[in-house]
Amino acid sequence: MTKQEKKSFNQSLAEWKLFIYNPSNGELLGRTAKSWGLILLFYLVFYGFLAALFSFTMWAMLQTLNDEVPKYRDQIPSPGLMVFPKPVTASDFSFSVSNPESYRGYINDLKKFLKSFVLPFLHGSYLQPLVAIQLIFGNRNDINEVTVECKIDGSPNLKNQDDRDKFLGRVVFKITMRP
Amino acid sequence: MVGGFSILLWIGAILCWIAYGIQYSNDKSSSLDSVYLGSVLALVVVLTGIFAYYQEAKSTNIMASFHQMIPQQALVIRDSEKKTVPADQLVVGDIVEIKGGDRIPADIRLLSAQGCKVDNSSLTGESEPQPRSCEFTHDNPLETKNISFFSTTCLEGTATGVVISTGDRTVIGQIASLASGVENSKTPIGLEIEHFVHIVAGVAVSIGVLFFVIAVSMKYRVLDSIVFLIGIIVANVPEGLLATVTVALSLTAKRMAKKNCLVKGLEAVETLGSTSIICSDKTGTLTQNRMTVAHLWFDNQVFVADTSEDHSNQVFDQSSATWASLSKIITLCNRAEFRPGQEGVPVMKKAVVGDASETALLKFSEVILGNVMEIRKRNRKVAEIPFNSTNKFQLSIHETDDPSDKRFLVVMKGAPERVLEKCSTIMVSGQEQPLDRSTAQTFHTAYMELGGLGERVLGFCHLYLPADEFPATYSFDVDAMNFPTSSFCFVGLLSMIDPPRSTVPDAVTKCRSAGIKIIMVTGDHPITAKAIAKSVGIISANSETVEDVAKRLNVAVEQVDKRDAKAAVVTGMELKDMSPAQLDELLANHSEIVFARTSPQQKLIIVEGCQRQDAIVAVTGDGVNDSPALKKADIGIAMGITGSDAAKSAADMVLLDDNFASIVTGVEEGRLIFDNLKKTIAYTLTKNIAELCPFLIYIIAGLPLPIGTITILFIDLGTDIIPSIALAYEKAERDIMNRKPRHKKKDRLVNKPLAVYSYLHIGLMQALGAFVVYFTVYAQQGFRPSALLNLRVEWEKGYVNDLEDSYGQEWTSYQRKYLEWTGYTAFFVGIMVQQIADLIIRKTRRNSIFQQGLFRNKVIWVGIASQVIIALILSCGLGSIVALNFTMLRPQYWFVAVPHAVLIWVYDEVRKLAIRLYPGSWWDKNMYY
Repeated sequence: MTKQEKKSFNQSLAEWKLFIYNPSNGELLGRTAKSWGLILLFYLVFYGFLAALFSFTMWAMLQTLNDEVPKYRDQIPSPGLMVFPKPVTASDFSFSVSNPESYRGYINDLKKFLKSFVLPFLHGSYLQPLVAIQLIFGNRNDINEVTVECKIDGSPNLKNQDDRDKFLGRVVFKITMRP
Repeated sequence: MVGGFSILLWIGAILCWIAYGIQYSNDKSSSLDSVYLGSVLALVVVLTGIFAYYQEAKSTNIMASFHQMIPQQALVIRDSEKKTVPADQLVVGDIVEIKGGDRIPADIRLLSAQGCKVDNSSLTGESEPQPRSCEFTHDNPLETKNISFFSTTCLEGTATGVVISTGDRTVIGQIASLASGVENSKTPIGLEIEHFVHIVAGVAVSIGVLFFVIAVSMKYRVLDSIVFLIGIIVANVPEGLLATVTVALSLTAKRMAKKNCLVKGLEAVETLGSTSIICSDKTGTLTQNRMTVAHLWFDNQVFVADTSEDHSNQVFDQSSATWASLSKIITLCNRAEFRPGQEGVPVMKKAVVGDASETALLKFSEVILGNVMEIRKRNRKVAEIPFNSTNKFQLSIHETDDPSDKRFLVVMKGAPERVLEKCSTIMVSGQEQPLDRSTAQTFHTAYMELGGLGERVLGFCHLYLPADEFPATYSFDVDAMNFPTSSFCFVGLLSMIDPPRSTVPDAVTKCRSAGIKIIMVTGDHPITAKAIAKSVGIISANSETVEDVAKRLNVAVEQVDKRDAKAAVVTGMELKDMSPAQLDELLANHSEIVFARTSPQQKLIIVEGCQRQDAIVAVTGDGVNDSPALKKADIGIAMGITGSDAAKSAADMVLLDDNFASIVTGVEEGRLIFDNLKKTIAYTLTKNIAELCPFLIYIIAGLPLPIGTITILFIDLGTDIIPSIALAYEKAERDIMNRKPRHKKKDRLVNKPLAVYSYLHIGLMQALGAFVVYFTVYAQQGFRPSALLNLRVEWEKGYVNDLEDSYGQEWTSYQRKYLEWTGYTAFFVGIMVQQIADLIIRKTRRNSIFQQGLFRNKVIWVGIASQVIIALILSCGLGSIVALNFTMLRPQYWFVAVPHAVLIWVYDEVRKLAIRLYPGSWWDKNMYY
């Protein structure tokens, strides 16, 4: 029985051809033109309705939002810290004094940042504090490695010891300066 | 653990590990996430595999315990000593001794025999005990009297024989090897599940590959594209479904076991539901397997006796004096006795010593007259001639119970024509009348009529010996026959049949209305077979065979148009001369067919013929000889009580009560589980789209990932499991026994409307609903939908710790990660809430939920409760376990998707309403799954 059921390649090819277009009843992919028309019309209406419904729901949801203040601040009760310019690897700055190319990127970034530096307010009272750090290395002929940790302190609400979030209320970075 | 979904999941797991390997070689500190995911996927495959194995093993165990065989022993003479050895240690040439009750340990040729009778029913299907002696009587080993066969039973007597073949070389062994030569084909539901796996795997692979290509051409890294591919595969594969199907089937198997249908393989549970032809035995399955008095003829009249299982309702006229005489003959001219110690047992259930006809007469008279033994005691037996095949009558001489009547009463029963020969008068209304030509004619008419019903007819007559010739002291000598054996007075006829079980006609009607064709296949005589077929409705009252039509029109059989006859009775002899094409024509043209006098091999031919008609064939049987047909059938049904071990092991199902009616309940359960599996699959497939869309949107629109792969697994293997099992408890929507059996190739488990409706309608609605929850969470935390577009790259950069949201708030990388997990949880809850609606709408496919009853299936509510509780535990209790990526949600987020859930319900009610209102319409064709 199974042997009979195994169709030859030609047979299945013919069946596929018949499925794609069946001249005897004008069926294209198993449906007549009228049937295709109906089914497409149905999906047009159905999906149109769904799209309208989705848009309406989203619109209604957006109406509940305040333009000035986010509704909840569940994830960001306490500010994070970020170091600028952004180091190439995770939190390591590494450059060589004798090779200007190795730190040109940082300088460009800094210049750009300070030129475009306008507090990106969306609302008046929100401030982004900016702290500049200057490191002075004694001996320029040795390899200097410094790890800097910045923390914000002063209020019990400010978190800076989170195990998982290394940037919550603190930032740690390393500067390696080679001669 | 291989094939189908498992392969896909293995691929997913391996891709995970490869992805990690590439990541690791680039960056030693890369996260272990993909290793975890790969391991989880592998674990899922292994666990579902073990689970399926365990379920299957459990149901197999039931069977194993069911026919644990006691090791057979044989008494053998070796070294001139009698020894008991296990039967499998016998060798050719051993001399074995056999006594009543033993099973024959090997094929043996008898050397000596004393009153030995064997029951060959397991081999040939003949239930009559066969006498065995040491004479060679026939060339055919199956016919000759001096061979007894392995596994048959010695009923009475003793015999000694020499072993001529053992093990596989015995006749039984050869049949068993014939049975094992028949291939085990896939069960219909197995094929359906395969088909369904193909569909889903096809969708998964094609979408996966499509988006892999899209991702690569969108300049995603190949590694990322592989991760997407894994996500798409995991979202598409219903990981929990096969386990759910297994549980649903085993639930039904348990339910069927309670109704006396023991199913061996889980998948056979459904096969009975899709059965379109049942080839049934007669003896024992359709009939009660005991001779019972069916008709009486006395006073020129036919009376009908009650043949139901308890004989309680004997309504024929018992006032005639002829009946008094007849009942006396029935009682006295009978050697059968009840076994002692059966007080309190209903008459019909008492064990009797005696052959089938005598047992029938004993029970018949006991029910009507009361204590037969007491009557026999009052009419002391002084002499008797037992029945033998040359005389064809049985005779006994009794004193009467009337003390004033000193005459002896000679009573005789036997083959009606032999009994009539010995009679000169006939009793009518208690009066003896001369037996003239016209009364003899009425006798013949009655005899033919009863014989035509397929019944075994016996004649009864008596004679009072004159007291002067035969005084009380007269010594009767049965060898010398010193008493008259002619000029008897004919009293009446009794006919017996193995009557149908009283539940069978109803069951046959039910099968008929369920569109199942019943074919009777029996070794019995065609007349008897036809009579039973008529009485149970296998041949319905108004349908005729070709012979009937010929008789009615008074033309030759050849001239009758075969299409005029609905019914056909075909004997084994006729079948032997038929070509396969002729058999096909016979099976196709006649709706009511009885095969009589068939051999085991022919049963196999009949089954194959039915299968050529694309039918799903169930075969019932009990003998060893049935086992090839049982195995060949799509579902073989063995009899639990009378069935041989060979039949039981070849069958897929065992009827514990040997009752045909149990098959009907089996059909009902099988059909129900097919419907319910459809619902389960539809339910499970729906959320695949809701799980898949996030990945597609993530790839195309670059939103932060809405739902993680691990979270998806928690839906598939967590919240969805109990609800999808709960659908197996759903009651039938309409009378499922009033529709035709499903067509093997047309009515698929997963058809196009089911896939389209689940994926493109409800699934899409669910996806939208879940996205609303997702967007709500992000928007209320600061990321408006517009800000999310194409945010993916920045979002996922670990060193960006100042990503601004729509309000200018800056997010550290971990804060974003945590928000992403909150998004996962929100999306998960969104799907879960809508899956509740999905579960409710899947309770029915056509009826309104309110017609079906929202609370009738309590398990559904257990399922809903389990969904909510598991989600709560994951979100609240396990929120602190980082690897699971769940977080606590604000309570209101649990309700955001509720309007969408309500919408799903309303939409489905509208769909069902339109289907009910416009059956056969465009809507019905496209929307009913």
